[in-house]
Amino acid sequence: MADSPSFRRHPLASSVDLVRWLPSSSTSPSGRLLAAAVHDPTSGPAASSIHLLPLSDPGSPLASLQLPSRATALRCSPAALAAATSSGSLHFLPSSFDSDAAVSVPGGAGFHVGPVRGLDCGEEEWVTAGEDGRVHLVGGAADGRVVARRLWDGKGMSGYEAARWASPVEFATGGAGCGVQWWDRRKGDAVVAQCNGIWGRGIVTGMVHSIDIHPSRKHICVVGGSSGTIFAWDLRWPQQPIPLSGVGLNGTAEPVCESEVWEVLFDTYTQSSDIISSASARILPVMMCSEDGILAVVEQDERPFELLAEACAINSFDIDPQNPSDVVCALEWESIGVLTRGRDAMAEE
Amino acid sequence: MPGMPTDGGGAIVPFTGEPGQGAPPVRPIRHGVAPPIFRTYVSWSSGNLLQVACLRPPNSEGGGGTVEVVGSVVEVNLGDGGSGGSEAEEKIDEAEMRRIEYGSVPAFALLQSRKNSLADAATMSHVPSVPDHEEWWQYVLEYSKTIGNLLGNPDPPVFMIEDPMTILKFREKPTSLRAAWELLEIFYVDKHLQGWLPERLVDWLADFDSLLSTMVSTVYSKLSNFQKKLINLQIVEDDPDYWNGLSAALSVGWLDIVVNMLRFHGSYQLDQMDNRETENGLVEAVAVLVSTMPRLRPNLPTGKLGQCCKTRPDFIKAWEKWRGQVTKLECSAFWIQCGHQKTRDGLKNLLHIMMGNVNKLTDATSHWLELFASHFLYIKPFTVGFEGMHHLAQKCIQLKPSSGTNGLTGLILGVLSENTEVVLAECTKNFGPWLVTHAMELLTADNDYADVMLHEERPNLGGISIEELHRLVYAQVLCSHSLTWQIAPTYLSSCLNQGLGLLEILLLKQPIQDNCLVLKTLEICRLYELENVSTIIMKIAGIYHWKHGRKGTGVYWFQQAHDKVCLDRIAQQLFEHIGKSVTDDSFKQWEGLLELLGSDIGSAGGLEFLHRYRDFKKSLQQALDRRCGARQTVDFLIQLMKNPSTPQRFWLPLLHDSVELLNSKLSPLMNVAETTLLLNKLQELSMAKLRPDFSSNHLPSHAISSVRLALASNLARAILGDP
Repeated sequence: MADSPSFRRHPLASSVDLVRWLPSSSTSPSGRLLAAAVHDPTSGPAASSIHLLPLSDPGSPLASLQLPSRATALRCSPAALAAATSSGSLHFLPSSFDSDAAVSVPGGAGFHVGPVRGLDCGEEEWVTAGEDGRVHLVGGAADGRVVARRLWDGKGMSGYEAARWASPVEFATGGAGCGVQWWDRRKGDAVVAQCNGIWGRGIVTGMVHSIDIHPSRKHICVVGGSSGTIFAWDLRWPQQPIPLSGVGLNGTAEPVCESEVWEVLFDTYTQSSDIISSASARILPVMMCSEDGILAVVEQDERPFELLAEACAINSFDIDPQNPSDVVCALEWESIGVLTRGRDAMAEE
Repeated sequence: MPGMPTDGGGAIVPFTGEPGQGAPPVRPIRHGVAPPIFRTYVSWSSGNLLQVACLRPPNSEGGGGTVEVVGSVVEVNLGDGGSGGSEAEEKIDEAEMRRIEYGSVPAFALLQSRKNSLADAATMSHVPSVPDHEEWWQYVLEYSKTIGNLLGNPDPPVFMIEDPMTILKFREKPTSLRAAWELLEIFYVDKHLQGWLPERLVDWLADFDSLLSTMVSTVYSKLSNFQKKLINLQIVEDDPDYWNGLSAALSVGWLDIVVNMLRFHGSYQLDQMDNRETENGLVEAVAVLVSTMPRLRPNLPTGKLGQCCKTRPDFIKAWEKWRGQVTKLECSAFWIQCGHQKTRDGLKNLLHIMMGNVNKLTDATSHWLELFASHFLYIKPFTVGFEGMHHLAQKCIQLKPSSGTNGLTGLILGVLSENTEVVLAECTKNFGPWLVTHAMELLTADNDYADVMLHEERPNLGGISIEELHRLVYAQVLCSHSLTWQIAPTYLSSCLNQGLGLLEILLLKQPIQDNCLVLKTLEICRLYELENVSTIIMKIAGIYHWKHGRKGTGVYWFQQAHDKVCLDRIAQQLFEHIGKSVTDDSFKQWEGLLELLGSDIGSAGGLEFLHRYRDFKKSLQQALDRRCGARQTVDFLIQLMKNPSTPQRFWLPLLHDSVELLNSKLSPLMNVAETTLLLNKLQELSMAKLRPDFSSNHLPSHAISSVRLALASNLARAILGDP
C-alpha cells in the first residue's frame, strides 16, 4: 500500500512496543514530542528504554531512559511520564525529561512480580494492576519520593491487563478471563461491579487488553480484548454489555478484525454520525488498533471506518489530546506511523 | 578444531587453513583461569557467539589452600569489533537489512498469491502454466519495482541547489544489493525494454560504477579524484586529469557530465574570450556534438543528454548524420588555429572516442565493464543476444585483465553465459539469502529452463526443490532473530514440502512467558489454521503460569485449550487448599478465580464445583444474617449434594455448615424427599469412613452426629407439616 500524504512511516531500528503523545508545551524548542517504549534484543543491557522523539524527526531521540526490562505500559500526565515493565517495576520521568531525576519503584515482592500492564494516571495517584493480581496506588511522584500502597493482592488468582481511572475515587481493571471490574475507593477499596464480557462462538472467555473511559461519561467503559472484541459497559446496566465489534456475535456488530484488539481509545475527533441521539444513549466513536494491522474507528450500529490496514501488527496508538486529528501508532516492523486526519478525509465518509 | 594456548596471556589463535589471507584475526579472551591451561574447547553458540571453555589440569597442586578457578566458559561475540573487516565498501547495517526484510514481505506474499490463483485458473481451464501467462511478467515486474524501491532510490533529491562546479551529483550511496537486483531485473524481467538492453546496461553502470572496484581505478574514482583537485586548479585545461576525466566520462556515455566539464574550460572565461575565440568555438562544437549523440532508447531521464531514437531505422539515420558531423569537425581547418596544444589533443581524443576508435576507448576506460559499455555506445549499438554480449565481455576482460572480479561482475558474467546455476551461486555467495530467495522469482519469470531447474524436486536435497531450499535457508535466518521471526511464516508457508513442519517447530519454540507474545504466536497459528499447535502452546503457557503462581492466568489458558485433564488436576489441588481453609471463609481471595470460571460451567471441568460451592457459602452467610431467604441456600445445598462432580470429602463440611441454619428455623426447610436424600448421603459417608482411602477433614468428631440430629429433627417437622 502506498503511503498517502497524510500517513508517514518512520523506521526506528528497534522494536516499538508502545507510543504516546507528550503534552506539548510552548517552551519546548523542538516542537511536538512523542514518547516510545523501544526494545532491541541485540543491544545487551540497554535493550529496553523509553525514547523521547521529536515529531519532526522521530529517528533521532532527544532523551532516553533505560529500563530494566521490556516496557509493558506507558502513560503520561502533565507532571511526568510513567512506564511499567515486564519485571514489575514502575519508572517516572519528570516532565523536564532529565533522566537523572527519574524515580522508580523496583519490582519484586514489595510491589509487582511479573508484568504490569495496567497503568493509569489519576488526579493525584497512579494506579497499577499487574498480571500477578496485585493492584497498587502510587502517589507523591512530584516531590521526588514515590509511595506505593497495596490496594489488593489477588495472589495470582486473577491477573490484570488493563487499568483506567474513571474519577478520583473509581477505576476499572480488566484481565485474562475475568472481564472488567469496577473499583470504588469509597466502598472499602473493593470491586463493586463486574462484567464478564461478550465473547462468543465457543470462546467462553477472553482477555481484556485495554479500557478507556470518556471524561464526560464516567459511567461507561469501552473495552478491547481477544478475538476482535470491543464492547462498552455501562454501569447503569451492568448485566448488558453493548457489543461494538466481535467475532461470532449474531448480527449486532460487524467485526472490524478477528485478532487481538491491543488498544482502544475514545476518538474525540470523529463526530458521531447521529449527533442528537449521541447526547443520550449512543456510545461515542472509539478508535482501536489490532494485531492484524487495522487502525479503525468503530461506532455502535455503524460500519467500522478503517484508517489503516497495515501488513504488520499495530501494537499501540495514541490520539494527540491537543490535536485530536493526529494519531501516532507503533508498528510491529520497527517503525512508528504518524497519521494526520484532514477535514476533507472525513467529509468523504 | 582445537586451539593452542599461547604463552602470551592466553589468547586463542584460530588457524585458518589458507595461506595468503593475511594475518588471522587475534582476539584476546579474559577467562580468569590461571595457567597452565590443560584443555580448551570451542563451540558455536547461537548467532555470532562462540563459546570457549578453558580448563586447568585436574588435581594440580592447590597452592596455599585457596580455592582456585579450575575452568571457565567465556562467550565471544565474533560480530562486533569487526576484526580484519577489509570491506571498506558500503555495508548495510542490521537494522537497515531488517527494514528491507520487513518491506519485502507484502510484495512477496502478493506475488505468491497471484501465482497461486493463476495456477488454480490454469488447472481449471487447461491454459498454459503460470510463467507462460501474459500477465505474469507484469506482476513480476511490479514486484521487482516494489522491492527495488526498498533497496534505495538512485534518483537525487529533486529540490537541491547545486554548485555548477560539481561533477558527480550527490546521491544516496548505492548498495551492491540494489545493483544486483537491478541487474537481474534488466536481464530477466523487463520485457518492454528488452530491445534497448545495451542502453540499460549503460544506465546501470552510471548508477553503480562506484561499486565495481575499490582496488583499481574506475571512471567514477577518476572523476571524484579530479573533483577534489578542482578547487585548487587555476587553469583546468592544463591539467591532464581534466582531459582524462573527460574522455573517461565520454567513453561510458555520461554525456551530461562531459558537457558540464567542458564548460570549465578556460576559454569560456569572459576575460579570455577575445583571444581564444577559435579554441572556444571548438570546445563548444564538441560539447554540442556530445549533447546530440543519438541514443537507441525510448526516453531519457531529465538532465541526461542525447537524442532518443525509438526504432532502428531512425537511429541509423540519426547516427550516420551525427557521425558525419563528428568526422567533419575532426577534419576541420580550425584545429590549426587552435593555439592550446592540450586542448587540441584532448578534444581530438574526444572526437576519436565518438568515432569509435577501439584503442582510444580502451585507454579511456579502466574496468572491463566500462570498456564493455563503451562498445555498446560507440562500436556496436545493435548488440543483441546473450551470446554476442558474452563474447564481447570475454574480449573486454582480455583487454583489461587487471580489473578482477567482484560479486557484481561475476553476476553479469553468469547472466551473459546464460547459466542459471552460476547466477544463483554468485547471488548466494555475495548477496546472501535475502536476495537469493527474492530474486528466484525474477530468474523464473520468463525462463523455462530456470523454471524447471529451480522447481524440480531433487532427491539429493531431501525431495525439495532448489527454490524451496533457499526459502528454507532464508526463513532460518529470519527465525534466528527475535524481531524478524514473525515474518518467517510467510516464507515457510510457501514451501510445500517441509515448510509447514518447520513452521510448527518454530511456533512451538517461541517463548511463552509473556501473554502478549503468546497471543502474537497464536495469531499466526490462526492464520495458518494450525489449531493443534495453538492448543499445545496454550497448554504450555497454562502450565508455566500455574507453576509461577499466576493461577488465574494458568486456568485461563487451560480453559482456552479445552484441557479438561489439567483443569481437573488443578481442581483437586484447589480442593486440598479449600478443604483446609474452609472455615476461615477466605473466599474473597478466590473471587477472581471463580469469576474466571464464569457462569458457563461446561469448560471448567472439576472446577465447576468451586463455583457452586462459592454460591452456597455466600447464600448461607446471607441467610444467617437474615438478609435473604433460607430456602435459596437449601436449594444450593441440594444441588451440590445431587451433583456428581461434588467430591465426597466435601459432603460432611457442606452439611455441617448448614446445621446452624437448619436448627435456627422452627418451620422445616426441606421436604421429606430432600431430607431423605441428605440422610442417605450421610449414611454413604459413614460407610465410606471405614474405607482406608477416606480423607478426613478437620471437623469435630461429633460433626456427623450433630448433622444427623439436625436432619432428623427437620425430617420430623417435615413429616408433621406434610399435609
